[in-house]
Amino acid sequence: MDRVDGRLKVTGAAKYSAEYELPNMAHAVLVGSTIAKGSIKSIDTKRAENAPGVLAVLHYQNSPKVPGYAQEAHPTEPKPAGKPLQVFIDNQIHFNDQPIAVVVADTLERAMYAAKLVKAQYNVDKHATDFNQNVPKAVLPTAAKRNPKHGLADYVRGKEDAYKNEPLKIESEYVIPTEFHNPMELQSIIAHWEADNRLTVYDKTQAVIGTQNAFAKDWGIPVENVKVIATFVGGAFGNGLHTWPHETAAIIAAKKVNRPVKLMLTREQMFTMVGYRPHAWQKVGMSATKDGKITAITHEAIGQTSSYEEFTESTLQQTRMMYTSPNVTTRYRILPLDVSTPIWMRGPGEATGAFALESALDEMAYVLGIDPLEFRLINHTDKDPEKNLPWSTKYLKEAMQMGAERIGWSKRQLKPGQVKNGEWLVGYGMGVGTFGANRGRAKVKGTLHKDGTLVMQSATTDIGPGTGTAMVQIAAQNLGLPPEKIVFELGSSLYPPSPSQGGSATVATVGSAVHAVCQALKQRLTSMVAGNADTSFKGATVENLTFKDGYVSLTASPSARLSFTDILKQQNLPELEVSEESSPDNSLRQKYSMYSYSVHFAEVQVHPLTGQARVTNMVSCADAGTIINAKTAGNQMIGGAVGGIGMALTEGGVIDHRFGRYVTKDFAEYHVPVHADAPNISSLFVNKPDLINNPNGTKGIGEIAIIGVAPAIANAIFNATGKRIRELPITPDKLI
Amino acid sequence: MIQFQYVKPSKQKAAIDTVAKDETAMFIAGGTNLVDLMKRGIVNPEKLVDINKLPLRKIEKEDGHVRIGALALNGAVAEDKLILEKHPLLSQALNAGASAQLRNMATVGGNIMQRTRCNYFYDTAMPCNKREPGSGCGALEGYNRMHAIFGHSDKCIAVNPSDMNVALIALDAVVLVSGPKGDRKIPFAEFHRLPGDTPQIHTNLQKGELITSVDVPEHPYTKHVNYLKVRDRTSYAFALVSVAAALDMDGSNIKSARLAMGGVAHKPWRLNEAEQFLAGKPANEATFRQAAEIAMRGAKAFEHNKFKLKLGPNTIVQALKNAAGAV
Amino acid sequence: MAVEKDLTQPLPNGEDGKRPDEARRNFLKQSSILTAFALTPGVAVKAADLKFEEKVAAAFEKVNVTLEINGKKRKLSVEPRTTLLDLLREQMHLTGTKKGCDYGQCGACTVHVDGQRVLSCLTLAPMVDGKEVTTIEGLADGDKLHPMQEAFIKHDGFQCGYCTPGQIMSAVACIREGHADSDDEIREYMSGNICRCGAYPNIVNAIKEVKNGGQRV
Repeated sequence: MDRVDGRLKVTGAAKYSAEYELPNMAHAVLVGSTIAKGSIKSIDTKRAENAPGVLAVLHYQNSPKVPGYAQEAHPTEPKPAGKPLQVFIDNQIHFNDQPIAVVVADTLERAMYAAKLVKAQYNVDKHATDFNQNVPKAVLPTAAKRNPKHGLADYVRGKEDAYKNEPLKIESEYVIPTEFHNPMELQSIIAHWEADNRLTVYDKTQAVIGTQNAFAKDWGIPVENVKVIATFVGGAFGNGLHTWPHETAAIIAAKKVNRPVKLMLTREQMFTMVGYRPHAWQKVGMSATKDGKITAITHEAIGQTSSYEEFTESTLQQTRMMYTSPNVTTRYRILPLDVSTPIWMRGPGEATGAFALESALDEMAYVLGIDPLEFRLINHTDKDPEKNLPWSTKYLKEAMQMGAERIGWSKRQLKPGQVKNGEWLVGYGMGVGTFGANRGRAKVKGTLHKDGTLVMQSATTDIGPGTGTAMVQIAAQNLGLPPEKIVFELGSSLYPPSPSQGGSATVATVGSAVHAVCQALKQRLTSMVAGNADTSFKGATVENLTFKDGYVSLTASPSARLSFTDILKQQNLPELEVSEESSPDNSLRQKYSMYSYSVHFAEVQVHPLTGQARVTNMVSCADAGTIINAKTAGNQMIGGAVGGIGMALTEGGVIDHRFGRYVTKDFAEYHVPVHADAPNISSLFVNKPDLINNPNGTKGIGEIAIIGVAPAIANAIFNATGKRIRELPITPDKLI
Repeated sequence: MIQFQYVKPSKQKAAIDTVAKDETAMFIAGGTNLVDLMKRGIVNPEKLVDINKLPLRKIEKEDGHVRIGALALNGAVAEDKLILEKHPLLSQALNAGASAQLRNMATVGGNIMQRTRCNYFYDTAMPCNKREPGSGCGALEGYNRMHAIFGHSDKCIAVNPSDMNVALIALDAVVLVSGPKGDRKIPFAEFHRLPGDTPQIHTNLQKGELITSVDVPEHPYTKHVNYLKVRDRTSYAFALVSVAAALDMDGSNIKSARLAMGGVAHKPWRLNEAEQFLAGKPANEATFRQAAEIAMRGAKAFEHNKFKLKLGPNTIVQALKNAAGAV
Repeated sequence: MAVEKDLTQPLPNGEDGKRPDEARRNFLKQSSILTAFALTPGVAVKAADLKFEEKVAAAFEKVNVTLEINGKKRKLSVEPRTTLLDLLREQMHLTGTKKGCDYGQCGACTVHVDGQRVLSCLTLAPMVDGKEVTTIEGLADGDKLHPMQEAFIKHDGFQCGYCTPGQIMSAVACIREGHADSDDEIREYMSGNICRCGAYPNIVNAIKEVKNGGQRV
């Protein structure tokens, strides 16, 4: 089925957050600091204030106070120690390009110009932005300090660091640079105070309700007085999972000028103000028997965070549960630097961790002289070795087989550099990914109208995967209505609550509530027809009825049928409304371990003289439970693969540590993949339901689509060239 | 962007006079570079003289050369039949640059004038002698991966980012300019400058001088040519190193060669000695490798661009191989 | 400023009141009012004192632009520094054309000017005076979608949809220009349009379908 909002997107009619027309709208532009650490000595705003059309220049000395800033962190937080940056609260500078002022003017051109006129003088402190130089300052996350059983705490299964005493082992260090989400839509917000205590924001966020709660708390107003609209979100990949300083800056500005204020970040500001995948150092030690049984893995990771907020992610999770190894040790640390706070970026820590783990697996297989696919199969596990629980479902072996066939794995030679296409060296590599098959609590309202249409609403978002489309299909299948008669509305805080769109949980979470809505509607329709003494439906139950094409019929005698429309008419009802909340069954989650799985196969070609590396074919396979929509799900897998190509070959942020300032901060310097970088990519699904997880049998796709891609490509490059590149991105200079 | 006055004269003389008289006035043609620089506050003209009404768009064969109007669009030149026939190297170089949309906007004259993409030049909060003389070169001891290995000074190590310029210097193009003091012709090799102590002076064009056209002389390099651009992604990225290679072949022997590099110096970098070496030699990898070694003499790299000392010669060898093999 | 020697000092932010270009950049000088009306500086300064400055100057700093947008002729008065992109989005409320970088590095703002694909973010509004501009809003024939729009839906050539208008405008031009003869050629000639969701292979398939279908684009 095509996307339900496809027409809006291809005609330019889909409205993103900066595209709402409000009367008397003013434009705001942020001014960033030019030092990484210290304090503002003085700020000169005169020239900006005198510039034409300028309505206000706000900074720590004159900004309206945000009442909630005295209180604690926002509910959309990953609950780190520390707290998010509070904008214009004092003169302290925590990172380079930190917002120090907001300029509001009547037109965008005037606001942009005036913003360049604001100048600050600073008291400069010595900053620390260089990861390598500050590694000794890495610490255990607060959560792990407080609770040694916490998922971020050190973990030992069997003997600690057991690989060290084994004869057949590898030990390697891996580095990934800071990577930036860089959705195509610049982070934007329109803030509108409709009354002193009533705020509406059109905001680029993945968390409608989280954002609503955050702003209500900030401004000390009732939650229902804050309206958050995020109907269309132009990509996010995680950077809409936090509330950021620019959002509050716009709300402050709107308060001050008493007009709706639009603020859209510049592309440079997307590198400093809305999070990123943190720079990470990792080390993997691994040992195995001659016949390929892994005997021990030790995986250590250090990830960067900011000085004012602890950011953590599950970098080492895959290492704990993916392979049978009797001995596993993991240690995770974070390194606070004078930089802005990271935020989960697609396949968050797992993608980072998988680069190290799956590269190490390839290195170990090479040492053993075993095919890396075979090596993974040897170490496959049918239960979770970390939790000692059965999997809810796991069809990774099937996925591997599908992928190996499609890519032509049999063409791969164990020895690197054996396959050529003209001058180009050809190589094949693979990488496995996994991510928790998460599910949360969501509520959906469904209204069946007497014209036979169903309108559902929930405050979830769609950052691109096709949430509305999947929900419509789930309802169509479960209620027996053609999809074109169903509408799913999302992206508004006026709708029943849903969690943020993150952690690949939306379809499992909201889809379950849609399922529940359909069950409830069927129950209500059944009661209505069963209560009608005059018909053959008398005494009918849901079980002996068939719901199809907008009709209810007796399964045993299908000729007896009534349309949903007629049922409502008979009852004299204009509509039938139900609201259903759905939550995961925690008792099942204690009995089963639930994950999605992916395996990626890459074919690369490397030019031996120029070091140019091209992915020439990719096959990405997933065990993601039931596939609701093959088109959108396949597209997600393809998108993850392209993201992984960027991670492997092109993307990396660079700071000039003398200034603590990024030197790569636009698309000319920070290279996201373009069309020419993306080959034909096949996405294949096992498509077997996980009904333990949720009634629709789905598991998430968004994260596993990228987790494991980068190592697949790096491993393919090794297979092509014999060069093992352990620091991403693998640019031509590393291959000559 | 600052407010500026915008004028669009229909006479060349009026355009030149306006820019010659007003210290802060600049010509604008495609705008792909200038508008970008203005948005970022790097260049702040108070008057823009839009030259798009001037009749400088033609591509014509004249006696001994093809004359390309300064306003001819990069995309149009790349696909022009005359250019494809006479100067395929130029076409290849143009198509290696930017994107289809930008090539539909950028003009030949503007491309010649394209400013460096140095990270420090582009960030007004960083030191840069080119943008703000005396503020220091941020790249010298900073992030200099994209920077020069030839002809740099301690004041500036930026590179010229244009692909087209690399082909034009290899093809001995001549830039025709018109200014308040009359018309003159500038050989391409003399058009751009090395940074020396005055990196803020980008070219040898005088204030008020307008590029009107470029003459590309006739030459035998119509078949064995290759523009090879190595970059951080497959397309739509500036060169780490690029090479324009053109061979005139006699069977498997090289009669004469043209060779130039991009991404290695403040100006497009012609490799005269390597060309001389190639003349009369057999076209094989050993010859190409020797030519590449000659080409790299005098190269000096910095902390982050040492790879260019290897990527440079490798790319020369490969471009020559491609050129020799091209039919 | 000798900041490069002492790296513990703040970055040069260009504001110490001494930069000649900065000092020149006061409002009245840069406005065209002086040249336009040959007002003496004295008069202008007085106007500034009386706060006439802004309104008077604003009116005279604008230029008239006549252009055809999606088949409709429009007469506009704009500041010369207004880009076509901001003109479309902020003044005409044609928000189908997207701002993805504002520096000519992503292609989200691609429109057709006189039938050629260009980047509206690097196009100053007065430079399209007298030209025909087509945006995504003007591509369909009433309710009937353009074949490229149909193909994008069919092949799911997008996810979040933000780069989509630019991709489609570029894709139409790619075929018109004759650069859609192979997968690799399409990829190269579409590389100016970034899709961060990574729907590239689907976009290539959509373009191939339209190209092979032989419909008029």
